[in-house]
Amino acid sequence: MILEVDRVSKQFTNHVALNNVSLSVPKGSVYGLLGPNGAGKTTLIRIINHITAPDSGSVMFDGHPLTEADLVHIGYLPEERGLYKKMKGGEQAIFFAQLKGLSRRDAEARLKAWFERFEISSWWNKKVTELSKGMAQKVQFIITVLHEPKLLIFDEPFSGFDPLNAQLLKNEILRLRDAGATIIFSTHNMSSVEEICDSFTLINKSENILSGKVEEVKRRFAKGRYDFTVQGDATALIPKLMPLVESSETAVLPMDRTLLSVKLRPEVELRQAIEAVNSSANLVGLNENLPTMNDIFISAVNEANK
Amino acid sequence: MNNTSLVIKREYLERVNKKSFIITTLIVPIVMVALMAVPTLIMLFAPSSDKNIAVLDNSGLILPQLKDTDDVHFFAADAPQDEMLSNDSVYGLLIIDRNIVANPSGVRILTSNTASAPVERTISDQMEKIIQDEKLKGYDIENLDDILKDVRTSVTVRTIKVSDADDEGEEQSAALNSVGGMMLNFVLYFFITMYGALIMNSIIEEKGNRVLEIIVSSVKPTQLMLGKIVGVGLVALTQILIWGVVIMACTTLILPMVIPADVMADVQAINAGTGSPDPEAMGMDVDVAHIIGTLSNTGYVAYILSLTLVFLVLGYLLYAAIFAMIGASVDNVQDASQLNIIAMLPIMIGFFAAMVIIEDPSSTFAIILSMVPFTAPMVMMARVPFGVPAWELATAICVLIASVIGFIWLAGKIYRVGIFMYGKKPTFRDLARWITYK
Repeated sequence: MILEVDRVSKQFTNHVALNNVSLSVPKGSVYGLLGPNGAGKTTLIRIINHITAPDSGSVMFDGHPLTEADLVHIGYLPEERGLYKKMKGGEQAIFFAQLKGLSRRDAEARLKAWFERFEISSWWNKKVTELSKGMAQKVQFIITVLHEPKLLIFDEPFSGFDPLNAQLLKNEILRLRDAGATIIFSTHNMSSVEEICDSFTLINKSENILSGKVEEVKRRFAKGRYDFTVQGDATALIPKLMPLVESSETAVLPMDRTLLSVKLRPEVELRQAIEAVNSSANLVGLNENLPTMNDIFISAVNEANK
Repeated sequence: MNNTSLVIKREYLERVNKKSFIITTLIVPIVMVALMAVPTLIMLFAPSSDKNIAVLDNSGLILPQLKDTDDVHFFAADAPQDEMLSNDSVYGLLIIDRNIVANPSGVRILTSNTASAPVERTISDQMEKIIQDEKLKGYDIENLDDILKDVRTSVTVRTIKVSDADDEGEEQSAALNSVGGMMLNFVLYFFITMYGALIMNSIIEEKGNRVLEIIVSSVKPTQLMLGKIVGVGLVALTQILIWGVVIMACTTLILPMVIPADVMADVQAINAGTGSPDPEAMGMDVDVAHIIGTLSNTGYVAYILSLTLVFLVLGYLLYAAIFAMIGASVDNVQDASQLNIIAMLPIMIGFFAAMVIIEDPSSTFAIILSMVPFTAPMVMMARVPFGVPAWELATAICVLIASVIGFIWLAGKIYRVGIFMYGKKPTFRDLARWITYK
């Protein structure tokens, strides 16, 4: 585990920002930090970044209690981010790299490489005011990763990027993970969670309401949802299947096929349903119907708010 | 290099490399030296345009006794009135009634030019004496001319400040000290408000464009604030040091060059305490001699400048902390301008109190205000040219240092929380709560 947050609470004047939140981030993974606006994600990120101190609870980094000295091993790209407007891109990046403990020479060499990689070398001497938002975002991304941190925290990294650059960024994030970095990824974009996250934590109203590996949680939320595809006439099938399911939907597919999306009763096993289908129709396809992260997010938050 | 020094370096270089900084730094000392030197030089050299006054003396008593001054010449009217007045070389026609001794208001000047107070004063001063003499003559006193010559006296008051350290005493001129006090008061006011506001605006800007969010993941907010205060302070110091050096160079090198040698000799005599400045003999005003004397006394200028530096640095740090608190508690310049009064009010009180205090620099009021940390920088500097006892200076400096430490600590607390607060303007209760946050 690169990061272990243990029962962390933080209270501000009029509200509780975090209430007994625990989570563990495995080394070398991409970890999603999800939750509605105002749930407490930013407070948690600030605690990890040693910007604010928790009222209670502890944060372990790479096996020891997190201290200020660990900050050089953390890279943080905040959601609300800016640069010094009147400073030149290259000079500014060197300043931030030095703050993260790089020598000027190292910083310059690494930056040159990154600027070439992103094909933005010509921005080196441009003031930030002369850069577009997307351009500034690229510089910010480089600033975040330049000191090769063990832990990277990206808060809505793709906002402000066009699809092409978002793809470039996504590839860079995965490349960094493959190189051994751990990534905490906070976003509202559930499809990108499905694409790149291994595990996640869902925070709602200051509490951790759901944690785990993406695949495992999906299966847990699937709860007997299956898609049966049958060939030919399906009218005989419906009455046989009905007693076994809580709900079902049918859809007619091309080539004389029918799709039945069902949710099995809790006591019913998949085997029984297959037998029922087999006895009255030609089964040509069977899929476990996994919910999307979007479904999980909505149902988990709604459940918690009940 | 640790992070605080990186922040200091960035803040410093960003400002010092600005064109506006370079221009201001070069132009202001030139203007200041000019402001100091020009009146002196004008007094010494530039004769105001000569004024020729035609006199029509019906009494026959006054004209023979009117003496020409540097810029006013009298001569008997030798042409008709209209012709005299239309002559460009004649400033005006002075008409004196026949019974002027009995009726002193029987005198007037006709002129096609504007009225001139110095001319009126010259004429009335001289005529008063002449008429007094004429009246005295009416009493038939023996050897009257000799008596009158003996009676004529000119008085110049010089204040000698007797200090414990220096038994010889130090010659002072209240007029010069007032000017010095005013200038130092203004310098302090100018630097504290200008650079304090600079801190505030720079914090608001960082907060506004969210660059703070990135910085604080590497630098502790308190370090950042300190780095900013020190960085901007070094900019102010750079500026004032350049100004100080230029001004001292001008006063020690250039002043002796432009001022004639005989005047300088008199000035040096005053500085050495051996001269008995006699304005008539020196041919210049005694205050002018004092100004030149003081400015060319390098040791004295250095003493004043180093005290200025101490109060400038401490005053700046105190108000920088206050301005930083304001900057951290608001989102935009509009909100800041309302809270600004918290910092500006004590500065203004100090500034205006200092102007009053110059009239009576050792009053209890003055001493108290020069101990209160918020007004001390301005008020104390206004008093310094008059001479302030060492214990008062030491006390004021100690109180200031303690306040600076306290306020920077407080500002750090508020800054740390304030920079992440967006949206609503905090109340004073909120600010008090922020101080207690972990």
